[in-house]
Formats: sequence, structure tokens, C-alpha cells
Amino acid sequence: MVAATSEAIGSWPQTVEEFGRLLELTQHELVQFAAWQLGNPLDAEDVVQDVYVQAFRERLDRRHITEVRAYLYRMVRNRCIDLLRTHSRMARAAPEPASPDDPFRAAQAFEQNRRLRGLMGRIPGNEAEVIQYRVWAGLSFSEIAVAVGASVPTVKSRFRYGIEKLRRLLRTGGGSL
Amino acid sequence: MKKELDCRDAMDAMTGLSPNTGTLPSGLQRHLSKCASCRDEWEAQSEVMAVLTPHQSVAASDSFQERVMKAIIQERISENRIAPPQARRWLRWVPAAIAAAALLLAIPFFTATRQPSPGASLLAQSASAFSKVQSVHIQGRIRTVPGDNFELIGAEYDFVPIELWRQYGETARWRVQKPGRVAVMDGKSATLYIEHTNTAAAGGPSAGFVDWLKPLLDPQGILQREIRAANSGEAQIQINQTAAVKAVSMKRHAKGDFTNAWTFNKSIQEADHTCTYRFDPASGLLAGLAVSIQTAAGEVTVAEFDRFLYNEPMPDSLFALQIPENAIWSKNDGGPAREASITFSGPKEAAAYFFDALGRKDWDAALVVYPHTAASEVLKRAYGGVEVIRLGEPFQSGLYRGWFVPYELRMPNGRIKKWNIAVRNDNPQHRWVMDGGF
Repeated sequence: MVAATSEAIGSWPQTVEEFGRLLELTQHELVQFAAWQLGNPLDAEDVVQDVYVQAFRERLDRRHITEVRAYLYRMVRNRCIDLLRTHSRMARAAPEPASPDDPFRAAQAFEQNRRLRGLMGRIPGNEAEVIQYRVWAGLSFSEIAVAVGASVPTVKSRFRYGIEKLRRLLRTGGGSL
Repeated sequence: MKKELDCRDAMDAMTGLSPNTGTLPSGLQRHLSKCASCRDEWEAQSEVMAVLTPHQSVAASDSFQERVMKAIIQERISENRIAPPQARRWLRWVPAAIAAAALLLAIPFFTATRQPSPGASLLAQSASAFSKVQSVHIQGRIRTVPGDNFELIGAEYDFVPIELWRQYGETARWRVQKPGRVAVMDGKSATLYIEHTNTAAAGGPSAGFVDWLKPLLDPQGILQREIRAANSGEAQIQINQTAAVKAVSMKRHAKGDFTNAWTFNKSIQEADHTCTYRFDPASGLLAGLAVSIQTAAGEVTVAEFDRFLYNEPMPDSLFALQIPENAIWSKNDGGPAREASITFSGPKEAAAYFFDALGRKDWDAALVVYPHTAASEVLKRAYGGVEVIRLGEPFQSGLYRGWFVPYELRMPNGRIKKWNIAVRNDNPQHRWVMDGGF
């Protein structure tokens, strides 16, 4: 999957047609990001659909925003956090197959995803956030700076500190995958 | 020639790089080949990042796009549903319909008895009244510096007159003017002219030349935004409605990071502020706006717009700006005017370079970090031969996306000047440029 570039997306879309184009460019990467956050592709699609509709509803207010991709990721992440808080998805035990064609592989992926999220949960939230945007979403540090409302040096520092903590966790076996 | 990376630079360059990156940047590669410590660091980071990357990719289902587009179209239909049937012929009325839809959907605006609250009622009346508006001419005053950017406000400044004109229709046009500074959007493009420096800038219809004043050119948008703000809890709303007065006040906290408070209270958004909208009791149209900010000394009114003249004729000449032939133009993309192989490690180094160029009166060199086609005579006169006494450490403040570098200069006239220069690199080339504060 190739992530859409900020240049290709342009500014915040204002018409139904422009939203159609935005959807074409970003739907797969946003659904993937939400699925990795939630461990559940079906909930992921619901979350991303809500985000697109919210983005459309608020298009006038957001028309001056140029970093559309970063804002969309932030909206998706916030929705995922709300959903996880509401339904305690993190505690869910049974794997939900991502692909009915290969349930074993899907179960393996789900299990890896569950552990990844568990690992992320053991480092400070603002560091996990930056790492997720960088590693899971492929956002640049300038896009992440926009998404989290901090400077580029700050998000880079958070990334480094987070990676260092994860490294220690992995080394000591506290977060083995 | 680019300098060799040291360990700190290498650490910065490798941060966040994917282990799947094909070829590392040459400078980083050279450093890693010589430095075992950084090499270990790179390998450790790569290992962790590889572990963190999920094994299975996920894609949206085949029906997802269709489902979302249906939901968006449904949303669009519900926006239109409350518009008067005849309004659909006129694109100009759509924003008013959108605002009215937002009003009808603003559940928290209803009281427990399901009666519309006075605030919802007031704003709805005004949104509806706006559907008949062809143009609006707004007059007022703001506490600011003549000629400086439209966003700058300050409780300590005197009031400066300001006027805004907005014409609706198939080709929307506007003009915003205060002493020494004017911006015009003629329907296709926007132009800004600053008199005392004889500088101009051109941009698209959405160019941000008028900053926080832009919503005032779109009163329907203001209403919609304020309704949402009240519903989301972003702003506190207070209604004052009697037979003679209909007013809505929206109180907001400053936005931005004020670990360093340099920009606090220097723009409306970066101040704890209250916007009070006053509506004409008869027509329901917006008739006044006052903006006050909270300072240590108490509440200070920083902007007042008290004349809203609707549907007055507006000549074409109002939306045509005559720029002097010898005007200096700023770069459209915000980047530097002159290409150069020199690069800067950060805002402080770029600011030092700029002041050094001004000190040597090397205007060509200054253009490497100055986003204009030439150095203005004002800049040459004021800064030619300047001497740097001290540069401080860069900091960020408020909503500004660049950096501020504290400086102390001995000016050519012998005066000592202490201030902060604004430096940013959020242009497409990510080149550091001087953005103000000098």
C-alpha cells in the first residue's frame, strides 16, 4: 500500500467530489492505521467512516488546514482511543480474523497486534503516539508535529525516548513478541 | 561544502528512519562507517522498529468507499433540507443553509423543555437573514500597529481604523484595509500590499493575508463555528436578550503552547478572549462585534466593529489593487528568494547568517534567508551595518509554527535593540527564512 502524499491531497476538501478523491487517496492507509490501533478491521472501518463524515461536516471550519493527512490521522487516533475506552477492546481475548481466507494467519496477526499494543501501553502515551504515527502511519516528523501540536524537535525526542524504553523492555523480556 | 556529521547530527538524521530504507543518506552512511557507537545505535533502533511493524497489512473492504460516499451524500442532503426551495438555485445561499442546518442540529442549544434557547434562536435568525445579503461593508478599529500584520493586536497599542468589504455572488470578492496595509481578493487571486516597505505578495483566493479577520468576511461561517464551539464546550456562551438588545458572547481560552509566553496576547487566538456579537433586533443581521482580551490589568477591548452596512453598491475598482511598479514581491511559497548551497542547522544559525549579511550590507547574501525578491530600502536604511551583540537560544511560543531567536543588536544609529526574530522553515524547500521581528 502506498501512502498518499500531503501534496497529492492538497488542502481540506470542500465538495462531495473532492471528498471522493480524498477517500480514494487515503482510505486504505487510514483503515490500516485504525485496525492496528484497535486490533479489529471491522471496527476500524466504522471509525474511519465516522472520521470522513466528521471531516465533511466540519469542512468549512477546517478549510484553512493544509496538513490534511496529519489531521485525519489525529482524528482517527482520537476516535480509536474513545472506542477502546468505551468498549475495553484492549481486554478482548478472542482474535477476530482479519481475513476469512486464512484464519490461522489472521489469528497470528491479531496476536502480534495485541502484543504490540500491549507493549505500546507500557511507555508514556505521548511517546507511543509519536511512534505509532511514524512506524504505523509513516507520517514525517513535520506531519507528526502538526498532528500532536508540538515542535519537530519535541516529537523527535519523544520518538527517541520511546524507542529506547521499548528497546529496554524487549531486552529484559518484559515486552517480548 | 556540507560539513561532516558529528554524532549528534547522525543521531538526529537516523531518528525515525525505517530499517527498510533502501540507501541511507550519504552523510549518515559515512558517519556510521566510522563510528561504532552510532552504528550500534542505528542497529538497535532498526531492530525495535522492525519488531514494531505489524506483519499483516490491512486494506479497506471493497464496499467501504461506496458506504462512506453514501454517508457523506446523506450528510450533504440533510444540510440542504432546511434551505428554502428557491434558494437551491443560488450557490450564494448554500453557506447560509449549512449554518441553518447546524443550528437545527445543535441539540445542546435546546433547553430541557425542548424549546430553542435564546442563543440558538438569535443565531438562527441571523443565519436566515444573511441569505438575503449581497454585500457587507464593515467598519471598526483594532489595537495594533499601522502597517504591521492584520493578526497583531496588543492591549498597549492605540486603536487603528480598519475596514472590510465583502461581495457575495458567483464571484466572491473582498478587501481589507488599515493604514499602511491593504489586501484584496478579486475572485481569482489575493494580493497584499504594505506601503512603508513597498512590498507586495500574491496568492490564491484562500491566501492567509488577513489572518483572524477572514472569518469576519464570512459571517455565515462565524455563526456555524460559534455554534459548534458552544456545543463542544470549546467556548462558553452568554446570552443577553431584551426587547432592545440581542447579543451573544463567546469566551475562549488562548490557544497554543505558552511554555514561553512571547506570543501570549499578541493575537486574538493566542489570548484569553471574549467575542461579543450584537444582532439587529429587527432584521436579525449581525450589527456589531467587540473583542476583548484578558490582561493582568483586567479586560481590554482590542477590536470593535460597529458599522455593518449591508447591500451597498461596491464598484469593481474596490477589488482591484494598483501595485507600484518598483514594489518588492515576497515569494509565493514563503521560501527564500535566492538559491544557495549553504544550509543551516537551525534557526539560530540562519538568524546569525542574516544579521551578518545585513552587517556587511551584502543584500544578495541576505536574500538567501529573506523571502522577498529584493531587500527593501527600509531594511537597508535601518539594518545596513548592524552589529550583533548577542543571539539567544531559539524558542517556540503560542501557535507560531516557526521559531523565535532572541537578539541584541547595535543598530547603525548606535541604538541597542533587543527583540526576537521569527524564523521558519515550513516552506516546500524547508529552507530557513526570516519571517518578522526585525
